[in-house]
Amino acid sequence: MTKSAIATDNLSKSYGSGVALDALSLAVGIGEVFGLLGHNGAGKTTTVNVLTTLLEPTRGNAEVAGHSVTADAMGVRAAIGYLPENVQFYDNLTLMENLRFFARLSGLRRPDQRIHDVLRILDFEGHDRQRVGTFSKGMRQRVGIAQAILHSPSVLFLDEPTSGLDPEGVRTLRETIVRLNAEFGMTIFMNTHLLSEVTKTCTSIGILRNGKLVHQDTLARTLADFPGEESLEEIYFRLESGHVS
Amino acid sequence: MLTTRRARTAHLLLFVFIGMIIASSIIGWVTNRTVTGVYEKVVADGLTTAPNPFAGVTPLYYLRNAVIYVVLIGSLMAIVLGVQATLRDRKAATTDLVLSRPVGSVSRLLGQLAGLGVVLAASIGISFFVSWVIISVINGAPLGWADTGRVIGFALLSWVLLTTFALLGMLTGLRSKQETTALLVPFVIWSAVAFVLPQIGTAARPVSLLNPVPAVSSTGGYFDIVSMVTGPVSMTEQFKTASSIILQDTAVTGNAAFSILILVGVLAVMMVIVAATPRSRMRSGLNE
Amino acid sequence: MSSTWVIAQKELLDLRRDRLFAVLIAFLAVATLISVGVAAASFRTQLDAYNLYVQQLAASGSTTVPAAPQLFPLQLLRGGVEYLEILGALFAIVLGYGTVAKEKYRGTLQLLLSRPVGRFAIPAGKVLGLAVVWFIVVALLTVTTTVAILVIGNAPLQGIDIARILIAAVVAWLYLLFWSALAIGITALSHRLSTGLIVAIVVWLVFVLIIPQIGDTMDPDNQVPGGLFATLQIQKPDELKVLANFAVFDSIRNGLEVSSITKHFERLSFAFLGIKDKYNQQPLGLVWADMWGYAITLAAAILASVTFAVGFTTRRNLQRKIS
Repeated sequence: MTKSAIATDNLSKSYGSGVALDALSLAVGIGEVFGLLGHNGAGKTTTVNVLTTLLEPTRGNAEVAGHSVTADAMGVRAAIGYLPENVQFYDNLTLMENLRFFARLSGLRRPDQRIHDVLRILDFEGHDRQRVGTFSKGMRQRVGIAQAILHSPSVLFLDEPTSGLDPEGVRTLRETIVRLNAEFGMTIFMNTHLLSEVTKTCTSIGILRNGKLVHQDTLARTLADFPGEESLEEIYFRLESGHVS
Repeated sequence: MLTTRRARTAHLLLFVFIGMIIASSIIGWVTNRTVTGVYEKVVADGLTTAPNPFAGVTPLYYLRNAVIYVVLIGSLMAIVLGVQATLRDRKAATTDLVLSRPVGSVSRLLGQLAGLGVVLAASIGISFFVSWVIISVINGAPLGWADTGRVIGFALLSWVLLTTFALLGMLTGLRSKQETTALLVPFVIWSAVAFVLPQIGTAARPVSLLNPVPAVSSTGGYFDIVSMVTGPVSMTEQFKTASSIILQDTAVTGNAAFSILILVGVLAVMMVIVAATPRSRMRSGLNE
Repeated sequence: MSSTWVIAQKELLDLRRDRLFAVLIAFLAVATLISVGVAAASFRTQLDAYNLYVQQLAASGSTTVPAAPQLFPLQLLRGGVEYLEILGALFAIVLGYGTVAKEKYRGTLQLLLSRPVGRFAIPAGKVLGLAVVWFIVVALLTVTTTVAILVIGNAPLQGIDIARILIAAVVAWLYLLFWSALAIGITALSHRLSTGLIVAIVVWLVFVLIIPQIGDTMDPDNQVPGGLFATLQIQKPDELKVLANFAVFDSIRNGLEVSSITKHFERLSFAFLGIKDKYNQQPLGLVWADMWGYAITLAAAILASVTFAVGFTTRRNLQRKIS
């Protein structure tokens, strides 16, 4: 068995009396593109927040890139890149200044060359001196990816990366994800409810319902297990609603 | 109005305001007892034969600190209430809902203003009623009709000043792109009106402007000319002048009518400016 | 380069481009300059009145020459100190609030918290950034007002005067930093965008405006127009003897005044600048002997406020919000 990039063990998170995550145990292998699916409020963002150490779990543990989210949060943060949903930047700062800031916080001492490299990879050159406040949603999303991969993380977390993007933006993002995974070997963990994107980018999927993991497998096997179904959408609704024969 | 009742931070300011107006009478009372004690001690020691200086002081004297609390706490409270009233709508985009009903934009704004006016009137009413009771207790008898009338006059004037600042808050709440700016701009205007303008006209230093008695114009060529310009615009000083006269503070002489006229005039102008806000402005979202 | 310094640099860069910040500082600078100008004009008015009086005396054949009003240049700074005391504190709160509120409510916080930065790096970076900002602002204000004294006030300054101004500048810097750090902590703790600002402003109202004002109001001598003891025609020694019987009341009154950090700032600046007559033209050693207690309380207050900011601006508090 290959070592996991992400492994959670009975991971739970509650807010007061509400349970957002209920004994989640999942594993994502190194080099996979993992899509976590679920309705609004199923616990997808909570999962990402716990795995990126923004939230502490109530019970259980998780390891990301070999570091425990509870015992070695700093180790996790150094090893991951993260793109939150609706990412925002310091509007008064230029693209270069924003990226320099996050690069330095990630431990890069002289980040300028690396920033240029990353912007080239993302095909996003020529905006260095523009203030981020003037950027469109799609441009911000690319800045968001840039800041997430500056320090060459081994695991990349994307929270609803396509939300609010136009079809063109969605396609660019999809190509970027595939490329980061194929060329740089990054493990990618993304939350989404766009099933079409999952089919095109993910190698494995998990489905959350009310904080519980109701399904986890590779995309290929999942599709193979339901030979009668036309699309992932149909499979998703069957798995999500719990009607699995 | 209902939403104002539910805004917790606004409550904090309301409590501070009502509390301080009431406290000002209590402080007056405690200090009065101490001064009477000092006087009795002085008489017992045979140091003076002068009559008790407090005998000649009107009971309304205890209310004079309320003047400064209206200017300081009341104005800021009114600004916050005003900003929140219009911003809340823009944040939640409830304006779209309200304006999609057969409601004119002017009547929507006037409705909000009326709500604020009632909230301000209620807080002023409560605090001044309690003050009236406390002063009556200090006095040993209920305040007479004439003095009660003066308290009511002072309360009405306070309402005029506070509603003007609430309108200022509503205006920046409607016009600003960010919530922080919406709160800050009226605060800066307030500090300019309360501190900078009077200083230019009278050479009064900022801290001395915390005194409930209006700054006296420093006589001399330059100041005489400048204070002719800055005087009428220094609303808080006009408020202090009118209130002190209404409360029969002997340190201030003159006619309150001019000051009252200015305060009411500014209120009217602010109302027109706010009511003239275009519909599109009320619906525009926030940059935050 | 530590994360703290990286964050501090970002704050500096951000504020340098912030229009609101520019407006606030310009307002403070203009108000301070106006106060120097007004004080100088006020002195000149006095001097004109004096000259006129002397001319009238000479015309009437009198040989007595009354003492001329004397200009103490540093006393022209009184208004400026008072502006820092009131408006400076308010603006310091606004800036402190802004540095946290921007992160918390504009979505950059998650990026910041997902980076490998230490437990205290975020608040310490913000406090450090604002400390540098206030250092620059106070330095600029000090230079402008000093030039204003020389040019508008047309008053000469000695070496010792410069030393006094520099001491007052350090005191002002610490005072502004106190308010900024306090606002950082309060904003980190608050759940709603405007709550932090409003709570900090209520604290400002109470400690900067209300408490010093109450202390003044409770002074028995201020209770009767014209002064109680003057009305009763009582001399100063007798006044002190009588007041000794009301020590509890007076210590409550003074206690109220000294519970406000603003009074400490005011008393220190006024003493070192010689604005308070008792310390005017006195050697610095003598002023220090009287004032060291205030210097220590001011330092302790800064320490407490910075500790509060750093201690309460935790990951958990920063993430608590109801939008």
